[in-house]
Amino acid sequence: MAEFSPGLEGVVAAETAVSEVDGANGRLIYRGGYLIEDLVPVVSYEEVAYLLWHGELPNESELDALRQHMAAVRNLNKSARGTLMAIDPATDPMDVLRTVVSAQGASKTLAKPTLEEAIALTAVFPTIVGAAYRRRQGKEPIEPRDDLGHAANLLWMMEGTEPSAEKAHWVDTYLVLLADHGLNASTFAARVVASTGSDLTSCVVGAIAALKGPAHGGATLAARNMLDKIGSAGNAEKWLTEAHDRHERFSGFGHRVYRTYDPRAKILREMAKTAAPQLYETAARTEELALKILHEAHPERPNATNVDFWASVVLTGAGVPKELFTTLFATSRVSGWTAHVLESLSDLRIIRPASRWIGPQPGKKPLQLAKR
Amino acid sequence: MPGLEGIVASQTAISMVDGENGRLIYQGYVIADLAEEMSLEEVAFLLWEGRLPNRSELDALSLELASHRMLTQSANIALDALPKDTDPMDVLRSVVSVQGVEHTLGKPTVPLAIHATASFPTILAMFHRRRLGLPPIKPRAELGHAANYLYMLNGKEADPEIVRALNTYLVLLADHGMNASTFTARVIASTESDLTSALVGAIGALKGPAHGGAPAAVIEQLELIGTADNAERWLRDARKRKVKFMGFGHRIYRVYDPRAKILKEMCRRMNPKFFDLASKVEEVALQILHEEHPERPQSTNVEFYSAGVLQAIGLPKEYFTPTFAVARVTGWSAHVLEQAAHNRIIRPQSEYIGPEPRRPVPLADRA
Repeated sequence: MAEFSPGLEGVVAAETAVSEVDGANGRLIYRGGYLIEDLVPVVSYEEVAYLLWHGELPNESELDALRQHMAAVRNLNKSARGTLMAIDPATDPMDVLRTVVSAQGASKTLAKPTLEEAIALTAVFPTIVGAAYRRRQGKEPIEPRDDLGHAANLLWMMEGTEPSAEKAHWVDTYLVLLADHGLNASTFAARVVASTGSDLTSCVVGAIAALKGPAHGGATLAARNMLDKIGSAGNAEKWLTEAHDRHERFSGFGHRVYRTYDPRAKILREMAKTAAPQLYETAARTEELALKILHEAHPERPNATNVDFWASVVLTGAGVPKELFTTLFATSRVSGWTAHVLESLSDLRIIRPASRWIGPQPGKKPLQLAKR
Repeated sequence: MPGLEGIVASQTAISMVDGENGRLIYQGYVIADLAEEMSLEEVAFLLWEGRLPNRSELDALSLELASHRMLTQSANIALDALPKDTDPMDVLRSVVSVQGVEHTLGKPTVPLAIHATASFPTILAMFHRRRLGLPPIKPRAELGHAANYLYMLNGKEADPEIVRALNTYLVLLADHGMNASTFTARVIASTESDLTSALVGAIGALKGPAHGGAPAAVIEQLELIGTADNAERWLRDARKRKVKFMGFGHRIYRVYDPRAKILKEMCRRMNPKFFDLASKVEEVALQILHEEHPERPQSTNVEFYSAGVLQAIGLPKEYFTPTFAVARVTGWSAHVLEQAAHNRIIRPQSEYIGPEPRRPVPLADRA
């Protein structure tokens, strides 16, 4: 019988050219061979989506075509609109996203995933996130603007006002950084669904469902909640020491893959200085002390700060309320999910692992109901 | 390892597929001992709790199921928002998602598993009636799970033999080791997400033709073949055109699938017309497959005779896969509960096959 590796840790489940997490060297490589820190200064989210889908960065005319295409398919269809309005406005925004994406993609016949659909799904996420947010506040959803880029339109649909270039830039950079990350749980969920020959919406809905978990996409919110509890740089030492004594986990630290500082966290940390100076102070002090405490407890572990920690600070600076953090993560990652699904089509094989039986010895005879 | 074949992804006590001996085991019981003896309710209890219920536990479960058959108002509105010609699997995926929305993240529990299980037949029956332009039928609390599903679909009580057949089908399909949809549910649960999320993901995976989406295709292929006399000619010709035989092939069983065996007998009894054609098609298909690959085992899978049983029950073919989901939701939720109880995030690795690191060219300089 094969070895059981809990969580499939270390097991290679797919070959991919979409992205590579080089944990030993702290590098994240996007399709085409680009290091994340080299991409961030020169590309927008739309360019990264193009890269993940096509394997190459777009030239100016290709980028214009993609921008126009995305802007043209930002609206919800009738099913999705009806479904959105049926849901209690206080619903968890990730549940709104899961449900409305499902309705938007409900179709008559099963279709193979296409790039066209990947673009449409990616384009519609900000519309759903914006509407979910506005409905939570008792406001009517507003129409998308086709003259705004992906990040700016997202903020527009939330606030109903055009965001500053700075805010749009912070959100855009966040979206670039989170667009793909190897075979994480949500991407893997998408690939498992795809492996049965199912449709792209089903894959993306499954991925949203997985991203919702606090051990995955919910971690950004957890990091911000921890910073809220700490409150100020001055309180960090007391809070962290006490939390550690209570055996509480520090949110925003640790990652299965990186053995060094997460390259995305590094970029967000820099950006956080200008995006949210006050929260940055608290976060920086928290990071310093948390790493110290963790190192003292486990000197052998590479207890690095993860992307969620600094993402929570940057998103706060961009004016994104924390209950939307996971949906922003999804808004970014959908390009990666769809790229993985499209990639998997070239050699589709059902993902059906084995399990190890730990139940009772087979063959016991059931008792009749009356004798139980 | 492509498809993770042979890789152990989880430990489980819920079901075991013993491919060598052609046995499917639920919590220690061989499927053949359960299939025609137990109600779906008893088997659901077995999968969730690890033992068969006594009379009072079964009564309590039946009551809990019966009292959660109504959809929420949101789910009703969302169901009506979907076009009438929507694939029923997409309806199920969307409306299960609405039915399970929450304000704050909840942990998977047995009561939530019961509520989800209770809602599946209602969603499908309501949509079925809507697309036929018929008024919805209210669930009946005194009917069991299988009987109530048929009642809500058709607006009249089904014949006891038909109810029994559907019940047996549901018991047979309730769980099956680490199949792709169950595995999807476990991957989602491993992030500490909620039960509805796991179920919605599983529905999406079941929809795929390589998984649950095939029983309708069995009927379609049989319709093309038309008669038993035509089977040999059609299948040999199809093979030349590389057409896949629907209802054959399974990664795990080395001998005849024990569920297919039971369903085949049911078909013989309930659907003789189907049986005459299907059994001839099976014989010829297995012969051809054996000629091509003598080393491979006989491979009639559960979907082949499921199609005949579900047809005899009176379900339209686009309801075959959704009815598979009605059965499997019990297993999915049992696996989610088990995953949550012994959790570790499922995050495998990938092997990078892209180019070596290089620098991006600024937009204006790109060719």
